[in-house]
Amino acid sequence: MVRLKNVAVTYPALRITYADTEFPKNAVTIVTGRNGAGKTTLLKAVGGLIGHEGEIAKEGFATLHFQDPVVFDRSVYQNIVYPLEIRGRDVRAYDERIHEYARLMSLEEKLHENAKELSAGQKMKTSLLRSVVFEPDILLLDEPTTYLDIESIEELKTLVNTLKNKMTIILVCHDRAFNEAVGDGVYHVGG
Amino acid sequence: MIWEGLKTAFELLVSFDWEIYQIILLSLAISLSATLAAGVPGVLFGILVSIGRFKGKRLVKLLLFTFMGVPPVVMGLVVLLLAVGPLRPFNLVFTRTAMFLAQFLLVLPIIAGSIVISSERTQVRILETATTLGARRRQKVTLLIKETKPFIFMSLILGFSRAIAEVGAVMLVGGNIKGETRVMTTFIAMNTSMGQFGTSIAMGGILLLLAFLIHLSLSPFRRDFYG
Repeated sequence: MVRLKNVAVTYPALRITYADTEFPKNAVTIVTGRNGAGKTTLLKAVGGLIGHEGEIAKEGFATLHFQDPVVFDRSVYQNIVYPLEIRGRDVRAYDERIHEYARLMSLEEKLHENAKELSAGQKMKTSLLRSVVFEPDILLLDEPTTYLDIESIEELKTLVNTLKNKMTIILVCHDRAFNEAVGDGVYHVGG
Repeated sequence: MIWEGLKTAFELLVSFDWEIYQIILLSLAISLSATLAAGVPGVLFGILVSIGRFKGKRLVKLLLFTFMGVPPVVMGLVVLLLAVGPLRPFNLVFTRTAMFLAQFLLVLPIIAGSIVISSERTQVRILETATTLGARRRQKVTLLIKETKPFIFMSLILGFSRAIAEVGAVMLVGGNIKGETRVMTTFIAMNTSMGQFGTSIAMGGILLLLAFLIHLSLSPFRRDFYG
């Protein structure tokens, strides 16, 4: 769960205010709004990457998946297990889950290739799996369909629907069909 | 004349004249040590400027980029003034230490600045990614250094290239003393001024050959950089 109360973010020439709300657990909330309305800013504020006024109450750890993510100079598998390693978790215990998710996203055959050498779409999938493998309490997805082909978007729908019963998901996406397939609620930013 | 120079270069190398080899070795030693010494603070400063959010960052970057273009002869002058001024007790004038110091100061902003220019955006994104995945401070630093390696390598190569090729600073503070502070570039400048163009071209060729061999020897270790 994520709760916003009197939240505002101020840039040098812009101040964005957000209506009070609560993003429920085990559901996907779609954040809508025009370009520049402050959708990504909201995700960054919830993810703790930028300062804000007001109160953002979070139940658990929030991870943000960027629209233009970076992959590390190592194999796809090593990229995916990074958040497990830094938490000191036993990577072998997650092996089955990693393969299951990788299979779901058609990335299983690429697991041992260097992530830097993959296509933009495959890099996107790698970073998506890296963000979800440790099953964060709150998952913030910023335009996750960017770079993905139609088949991959279908795979992502399945992944998000699989994950949504385990966490709070806040999603910014301009793909209406995708939003309709995975969304449980809508939160509008701006105007 | 160029053909003549290349012939002279070959003759210089096979003559096994100790003076020539001493000049080559001294050039390499000073430039390499100055680059490596400047590498640690330069890389750290470059990373701090890249990822730091602080007041005056723009000014720091402007100054850093300005110092990347300082003419070597000006840097030599600064070191010379320091050597005859506050650092006088250390007897630095016309010494190898002064040459090292001048090249160190010359290369430092090049290393730091090139890190900022080439990878500021990448570094910020790596840091944000690590943060959002839950990395702690030390884990972030480790990841940042690992992922910035190609840029660090490139900045060191740039720094070394600048150091080995410059003549103004080492000429001013080293004095081009035979057997003591004479390096390849000052040797070339001296022979050119004496009208011995063939010898100058020869040493220039050796300098280029050395630079090529250094890159050739490094290339297997950094395929991301050399392809």
